[in-house]
Amino acid sequence: MKDTDTMMPPLATGVVTRQIEVNGVRVTYHEAGQSNTSCPPIVMVHGSSGTTRGHFGFLFPMLAVRHRVISVDLANPVTGDDPLELEHLEAQVLAVIANAVPDQEITLLGYSLGAAIAGFTAARHPKIVCNLVLLAGWMKTDMQQLLFNRVWHELRALKSPKLDDFTVYGAFGAPFLSSKTFEDLAGGAAMPLDDFVDKQMELNSRIDIVDLVPDITATTLIIACSYDMMVPVHHSRALFGTIENARYAELASGHAVVFERPAEALRLIDLFAANPQEYPAGATLPVVRP
Amino acid sequence: MTKQQSIHDTSIIIVGAGFGGLGMAMRLKEKGVDDFVILERADDVGGAWRDNTYPGVACDVPSHLYSFSYMPKADWSRVFSPGGEIWSYLRDCAKKPGLVPHIHFGAELLKAEWDEASRRWLVETPQGAWRAQYLITATGVLADAHLPKIPGVQGFTGDAFHSACWDHSISLEGKRVGIVGSGASAIQIVPEVAKTASELVVFQRSAPYIVPRPDRAYSSAEKRSFERLPESMDALRSEIFWMGEYMFAQRRAVPAFVAEARDMALGHLADQISDPELRDNLTPNYVIGCKRVLIANNYYPAFNQDHVTLETSALEKVDGSTAIAVSGKEYDLDVLIFATGFEAPEPPVAHVVYGRGGVKLADQWDQGMQAYDSTAVPNFPNMFMVLGPNTGLGHHSMVYMIEAQADYILGALEHAKKHGVEVLEAKPEAEAEYLLDIEKRSKGTVWLDGGCKFWYRDPRSDRLTVLWPDFAYAFRDENGTFHPEGYSETAASTAAE
Ligand SMILES: Cc1cc2nc3c(=O)[nH]c(=O)nc-3n(C[C@H](O)[C@H](O)[C@H](O)COP(=O)(O)OP(=O)(O)OC[C@H]3O[C@@H](n4cnc5c(N)ncnc54)[C@H](O)[C@@H]3O)c2cc1C
Repeated sequence: MKDTDTMMPPLATGVVTRQIEVNGVRVTYHEAGQSNTSCPPIVMVHGSSGTTRGHFGFLFPMLAVRHRVISVDLANPVTGDDPLELEHLEAQVLAVIANAVPDQEITLLGYSLGAAIAGFTAARHPKIVCNLVLLAGWMKTDMQQLLFNRVWHELRALKSPKLDDFTVYGAFGAPFLSSKTFEDLAGGAAMPLDDFVDKQMELNSRIDIVDLVPDITATTLIIACSYDMMVPVHHSRALFGTIENARYAELASGHAVVFERPAEALRLIDLFAANPQEYPAGATLPVVRP
Repeated sequence: MTKQQSIHDTSIIIVGAGFGGLGMAMRLKEKGVDDFVILERADDVGGAWRDNTYPGVACDVPSHLYSFSYMPKADWSRVFSPGGEIWSYLRDCAKKPGLVPHIHFGAELLKAEWDEASRRWLVETPQGAWRAQYLITATGVLADAHLPKIPGVQGFTGDAFHSACWDHSISLEGKRVGIVGSGASAIQIVPEVAKTASELVVFQRSAPYIVPRPDRAYSSAEKRSFERLPESMDALRSEIFWMGEYMFAQRRAVPAFVAEARDMALGHLADQISDPELRDNLTPNYVIGCKRVLIANNYYPAFNQDHVTLETSALEKVDGSTAIAVSGKEYDLDVLIFATGFEAPEPPVAHVVYGRGGVKLADQWDQGMQAYDSTAVPNFPNMFMVLGPNTGLGHHSMVYMIEAQADYILGALEHAKKHGVEVLEAKPEAEAEYLLDIEKRSKGTVWLDGGCKFWYRDPRSDRLTVLWPDFAYAFRDENGTFHPEGYSETAASTAAE
């Protein structure tokens, strides 16, 4: 357990946190909950600069109410100038699966970069990943993302104090931000920065799993966010077109859906994990109209 | 029966013309069902919003969500609209869809009986008797004022009334006023009364958690764009809904969210009250969320005024003009206002409804109220309850629940019609299974583990009988469509034999 973690309230009631070695680096993962049905355990992979606490502070404990949930805290597997690759991160996810839920089928959920990792893993390990949730995911970085990424790296290199603003600007949906003040945003929207984050941002600039994605056979739920500027909806729609056994849902949120609309995302994931086949392949899920 | 001639026949009797009864009736109308009556004991629609006219009365869930999805209102004046505006909205809800001709005022349900022979409900009211295939109760959870039995209160020399029956003929100007209670109503009343009373004492048995109230008026431009672009109203409604759902993580006792909510509430207190002793006295002693979390910006500041006193114990007795607290402190008062809430562990209607074999609902519920799918009760055929057991929300809009139940009940009526069913009755085993599921959901919530006693739980069984212990969306997902498998059915043909 990280020191900073011990100062904080536990992630979920009854959470167990473990560490394992994967190719020489220590990877932390968290386990909680028990499935009260026969549905497979859920393995969660966070996005760039995230952790379980950072990205799944809501989803992890709330999914654990009805499911067995395992969430990975990705660790930096490369040193020096070596580039980070999806294989490295896939290895960590697979190692956690082998440790926590060996010889079982699982529901794999990835958010943002985590969705690219999850898609990559699902394509290459169809025997393990029987259900797949891609939350704000993509398969090939395009020009709109590259422009964002380049400005990000530039501000980072300049140690610009405006890097946080730029990240928040990209991460949150315009409707969400419209009612906020700087004071509202001050508490915690900032992205933690370190070497590993730089490597993840660099990897983000060259994601390309277009050749692999058609191999995904898992029962898949794709969740897009209407106001996403980091991974605009057309990426999720492309995944929906490419993965044969996919269904699609769209939420009125920015990329930071885990903060903006966590309960709505939870509902979709919870229902899907309990009954992945409820909607047929090709279906667009109805939106809740309160 | 001598009153034979005066029995009116109809298909469906709805009891109550608040949000629940009107919401149900609107949906019937929409489906082209016309053969129903609404029996209302008072002389107007509106329920809680007709009765609660105390100064400061307003909703705690933003109006754009706390209203019918099938009757949106573009010109809500504020994020949290005042009670009078909600009442007039409900009058519109009765008028626009043409419900008024169906409503009988002054028609309190005095007794409802299931007549086995005719397979009909017989309902007696001061306005005559009605007979119908279906009985739908929408008599409210917070409809009947709760007056604590305080020794000596009858002999109080000043004026006394309950917050839900506010006596507007009594001026509080320059008076010494006592407010009993520190719940949802009290915190709206206190700042208002403090403006005119010469002295105000608040009897607080247990301090509530209070968070900031993000209230503001809508500009005319905003109202017009809601009018012109109704989809922008829908988007706002969804945003409010999902924000509300987010709060459920606190109720689910997720440590980080409990801490976040507690910090927000205690921070709000610290921002508004600088006197450390007063702050201590306003600090709750249980886990946040266990009792209703209140929202107010003007409650705490009221206590910073010299003429406002916080009494940190309950009112114990009254002697002439003196109100004596459990702490022994005495206060001479001109007016006593009971903001002591409502009869909640079970609705009073349970004492006047008799099912199969003459069983009284309150007797069947001697261990607390319960219903299959929160809607139907074994032994009470063809009866459905709107906002019955396990429908309350600690965090969200009751109208959402009403709409879900209206859909369910419509589904039941349509099912019966389609399949020639005359009598639908919830199976006891289906109810038992439902209750087990409720129990499972309740585990690990702050309501059971938060260390507070509250009316959410039935004192007889300690079970959570008032609240739905999950997300609101889960209620609609699970109880928003009729489940025929939980009912035994009697075909119409067998009735004719
Ligand atoms: C001050 C106050 C503020 C509130 N704020 C909120 C809020 O912000 N958000 C929220 O979700 N909820 C709020 N509530 C809860 C509120 O009670 C419900 O939202 C909603 O009004 C319930 O509607 P109802 O029709 O079930 O009950 P009611 O509004 O209570 O209506 C029941 C009706 O049935 C009638 N009736 C009762 N018994 C009989 C009988 N035997 N025969 C004939 N008629 C009968 C009553 O006269 C009444 O008109 C608030 C309640 C109060 C008191």
